[in-house]
Amino acid sequence: MAQVAAGDVFSASQRHEIDRAIRRAEELCRIEFSVFVGRSEGETRPFAERLHSTLTAPDRSVLILVDPATRLLEVVTGAQARVALDDRQVELAVLSMKTDFAAGDLVGGITRGVQQLAEHAQRPQMRHGT
Amino acid sequence: MLVTNRPENPVVRRAARVLALLPAILVTFAASTAFAEPPETWEDTPSTSVLHVLLVLFLIPLGLFLLICLLVYLPSMSRGRQDHHSDEAWRGEAEWFGGPSGGLTAVDKAEQPSAIGSGDRDAGRGGASGRW
Repeated sequence: MAQVAAGDVFSASQRHEIDRAIRRAEELCRIEFSVFVGRSEGETRPFAERLHSTLTAPDRSVLILVDPATRLLEVVTGAQARVALDDRQVELAVLSMKTDFAAGDLVGGITRGVQQLAEHAQRPQMRHGT
Repeated sequence: MLVTNRPENPVVRRAARVLALLPAILVTFAASTAFAEPPETWEDTPSTSVLHVLLVLFLIPLGLFLLICLLVYLPSMSRGRQDHHSDEAWRGEAEWFGGPSGGLTAVDKAEQPSAIGSGDRDAGRGGASGRW
């Protein structure tokens, strides 16, 4: 997993914690996760989609964009990832992450959010009436 | 015809008032300090210094109060330091975990005209957003 643009924002242990959460999530549900923490250039959603499209396999990837400056959070799921992880499940994870971020726990929110997304993606979807 | 419950004689009324107050006055003034000698087998208590009294009554409770306050606020203080640390996230450089090797440069390259036609490929995207 490539980690880029590593400044001194997070401590080494915090960075390791986020990396480990991503790795565990990917092992759990076979979807690739990417977390961007920083200012979004322009509008958040288009910027998040631009970031998502540059990933190695966008269709089966999930990008989490956290912009602490504007307090905005954006999750983009690729077409294949969306089959396992529908938008309502993503909304639940977003809600959980927002709660942690509001409490000032940036790293905890990211790690728990990634874990929650992976757990949702792992569970078989219940389809009624089909 | 006027109906009243007041006694006719003012002397009787005043006497009744005094009589009503008399037991309370007697009990109040008759009470005196209870004296009790300590048993002779008890040791004489040593005289305590003012410093000792101050220490026991004020300094130790104050110290305990400060210690309890510190223990209560310590977790939030340490978390506050973490908050400050994560506050630096938006003042500092962006970090991308699990991103492409080129980082944000890869995003800039993707904006080149050759990559513009990728819109249809990403039509099935989903997700959610939020603000805290």
